Amino acid sequence: MPELLSKIPPGMRYHSGREARLRRRIEDRVMSIFNGHGYEEIVTPGLDYYALFERGMGAEAASRAFRFADADGSLLALRPDVTSTLARAAATFFSTRPRPLRLCYAANVWRANARSGAEWRREGKHLGCELIGAPDESPTRIESDVEMLSMVAAIIAKLDLQDACRITINNVGIFNGIAARLNLDTEGREQARRLIDARDSSGVQNFLTERTREDKDCAEFGRLVQMTGRDEMFTAARRIITNEQSVRALGELEAVWRGIATLELNHCFEIDFGDTSELDYYTGTVIKIYIAGAGTRAGNGGRYDDLIKLFGQSETAIGFMFDLDALTDALKGSNE
Amino acid sequence: MSEVTIALAKGRMQNQTLELLSRSGIRCDEEALRSRRLSIEDTTGRIRFIFVKPADVPVYVEHGTADCGVCGADVLMESEADVLQPLDLNIACCTIAVAQPCARSDDAMKGKIDTVALRINEAGMLRVATKYPRIARKHFLEHGIPVEIIELSGSVELAPVLGLADCIVDLVETGRTLIENGLTITETIAASSGRFIVNRVSYHLKSGIIAELLDKLAASIVAADKSETESSHAENYK
Repeated sequence: MPELLSKIPPGMRYHSGREARLRRRIEDRVMSIFNGHGYEEIVTPGLDYYALFERGMGAEAASRAFRFADADGSLLALRPDVTSTLARAAATFFSTRPRPLRLCYAANVWRANARSGAEWRREGKHLGCELIGAPDESPTRIESDVEMLSMVAAIIAKLDLQDACRITINNVGIFNGIAARLNLDTEGREQARRLIDARDSSGVQNFLTERTREDKDCAEFGRLVQMTGRDEMFTAARRIITNEQSVRALGELEAVWRGIATLELNHCFEIDFGDTSELDYYTGTVIKIYIAGAGTRAGNGGRYDDLIKLFGQSETAIGFMFDLDALTDALKGSNE
Repeated sequence: MSEVTIALAKGRMQNQTLELLSRSGIRCDEEALRSRRLSIEDTTGRIRFIFVKPADVPVYVEHGTADCGVCGADVLMESEADVLQPLDLNIACCTIAVAQPCARSDDAMKGKIDTVALRINEAGMLRVATKYPRIARKHFLEHGIPVEIIELSGSVELAPVLGLADCIVDLVETGRTLIENGLTITETIAASSGRFIVNRVSYHLKSGIIAELLDKLAASIVAADKSETESSHAENYK
């Protein structure tokens, strides 16, 4: 009996003592930043219909959730992601509220199957925010992106992680423009995306040379996605990228970059043309947050203007979230 | 304290990688290398090398315990680790292939993949012995062939000879072991070579030293290629 009692399901754990206090402190600090920017905390259901997540995250990502049948036979899931539930709320319960909606959350999420070997935990906590329904005209659109990034910077500063942190930004339109120009089908697009995401230089080069015998611009793109950097990235990119869609996305990214140049923490930011994860979900700016001491990404986000439409109301949306486990891992070693 | 930790797959891959590195000026103390220590620093103290089993390289790198690593593409494919692989080192070049006993595949040699399909019609289910259960399962699944995977940890070539399996999925370098055990390659799944892999977080937070390493290694690879005779090269890549 005793050995049975001490058994917990794989991937689950207790947090206690110093670590539990640290988690509480981190959560409070992050939420205080959201609060200070006028974001309202929303508590969303931990258990919901699986169909909701399948619609919001796509079938592949949603399939990692814990699923089971309700008494009436309908398929339920333990919340694997908060954004889907907030998108549904924005399109339904909050549809008559004045726009833009500024919402934030600190919520547990669960996954039955890990995305990677380093992601052994099956329960986590996401601290995040969403800005929904801001006007889509050019100054406001850029301002919304900058508002997100300045909150990311404020959180990093509040946690005193500015010397151990790198925040990368990209715009998915740049890749999409190249993919369209190369006439890639779904499979080719996914193959290119995966090669770029893994920074597989020879793989990308081979892929591009096969398809771009006479198209020097696209072949050069292979080198561009290997680099990360700052202002000089735009000069390099403009020499290579000529198609209309990519140029427009590049312009938008540069406008956002200029917007954050005035932020105190701008040394933490970098342009990363090679960030091509979850391309089908995002529609504009994408953000990734890396912190030393956390083996995996500490947070991510971006613009997903097509998401709310899936729930019946077409409007802009942008958001990001931090992973509390990663923040705790990063701060555990410090004197916090 | 060193700036970056590199996990190397013990054995031949380790020696070839260290040779590439030494050509670009990154050297380890000979005595330290001869010792049985599993963690040593280079002569400048900037780089720490750890020596682990090949299959463990992606594990260390994925968790960020090592910032970078060198292992075969076969190991990477099998581990499905979420790591970056910016450089093909062009060392330890092999193929991952399906092989069957020669006698059985004689008339089907021209038929390529159909060989395998033919065999399952008789047996109902193809039995595959391998050290690479994930690669094998994925490969046959993509071709719609139901398989029973028999996971072994070595001497896989014996399995079809003794009747444990119908075919094998294994790493093939020269093909000599296959021939000597009466097996022949019926299909190539993928090419494999030594890859330099990087942890996703380290790639951004230690970008300076990692970019430096990548540049140096890339230069050494080009130099190594040139020193090989052109003819043998053409032979290999026909």
